[in-house]
Amino acid sequence: MSNKREREKRREERLQEEAKVDTGERRTRLLQFGAGAVFLVIVAVVVLIVANSGGSSGGDAENLKEVSAVDSLVAGVPQNGMTIGKPQAKVELIEYGDLQCPVCKAYSEEILPAVIESKVDSGDAKITFHNFTIIGEQSTPAGAAALAAGEQGRGWNYLELFYRNQGKENSGYADDEFLTAVAKAAGVKNIAKWEKERKSAKLTDEVKATTAQAIRYGFTGTPSFAIKGPGSNGTELLGSPSTPGEFEEAIEAAS
Amino acid sequence: MNFPTEATLRRIIAFVAALGIGVATYITIADSGGGAPTCLAGGGGCETVANSSYSHIAGVNVAVFGIFGYVALLISAFFANDAARFGGFAVALGGFGFSIYLTYLEIFTIEAICQWCVASAVLMTILFLLNATRLIGYAGTTTSATLPDEG
Repeated sequence: MSNKREREKRREERLQEEAKVDTGERRTRLLQFGAGAVFLVIVAVVVLIVANSGGSSGGDAENLKEVSAVDSLVAGVPQNGMTIGKPQAKVELIEYGDLQCPVCKAYSEEILPAVIESKVDSGDAKITFHNFTIIGEQSTPAGAAALAAGEQGRGWNYLELFYRNQGKENSGYADDEFLTAVAKAAGVKNIAKWEKERKSAKLTDEVKATTAQAIRYGFTGTPSFAIKGPGSNGTELLGSPSTPGEFEEAIEAAS
Repeated sequence: MNFPTEATLRRIIAFVAALGIGVATYITIADSGGGAPTCLAGGGGCETVANSSYSHIAGVNVAVFGIFGYVALLISAFFANDAARFGGFAVALGGFGFSIYLTYLEIFTIEAICQWCVASAVLMTILFLLNATRLIGYAGTTTSATLPDEG
């Protein structure tokens, strides 16, 4: 009997020993898997960040940014040609800008959205964009491309999206491929029509005419602004106000 | 300082994951109405982030992925076996890595900070540390299979 009990005891000890070894192995394996997963995640995060920083320099037709941000900025606001805002708004703020100009990009991203929210959405004012091409040779076809988008009611979508994906001045990024990618992402429905119109003499001449007008006003840089309304003395030149508050005051004064 | 018991770790994980579910659900609901989460300190950072193209993947708000992650972490806290330990660690690790990427986007690409996203990133970081501690401390051990709230 005691022999049998001893055998059982030894057997139990052996099983416990085996279980301990099993547990140790499982633990080692799990920790190895864990370390492997940490390595994989580090690689994935680095790859994502590197891929993203490559695209963030702008001017990348295949990787347009901020499409939904632009959609939500101009959604629901009426557009007519290059004018955003209700047609019956009494005050018209006129921007003279160049799509390749980085300061215009900063205005479009940091100052004008607040003005659109406070004065355009409410119907107090409308904003019209005119080309004042001073940066380089691609500025004129870019400006005409925006006007052609305006012909299909997507002028401000085009402007805003172009600015948010703007590349380095005169680096050659604003080529046909980039202009077309922006048009498609801006929601221009009839691309064939847009393609034909953007190359038309009519729109190219319009870009040149508004540029000549800006020069006549004495503007020397972009963006420059003018305003007209019942309270203004014809078209008044504002220059380049630097805060949304200054624009709002000018709009109130012209109302 | 004593190494925390697994029961303690699991309770804290459950609590933090529940907070995470709350934050991610708030972001999802605020976004679904066409709006954005309200930044408590103002500044409009939350709107900028919510309106950016990075806030959605394949049309789905990234916060929805967050909800799934936090729910998985909450579930993992209810089991004391190796599958739960490793599963919790893997989900928290993925969430932590994704949070690093999203925070990078906020700072360097979108150039706006959304407090709710930062809150979620902090919670996910805490969950990663807790789950890593749990895996290192208790992988391969066997204990009771329910959340020991009686202890």
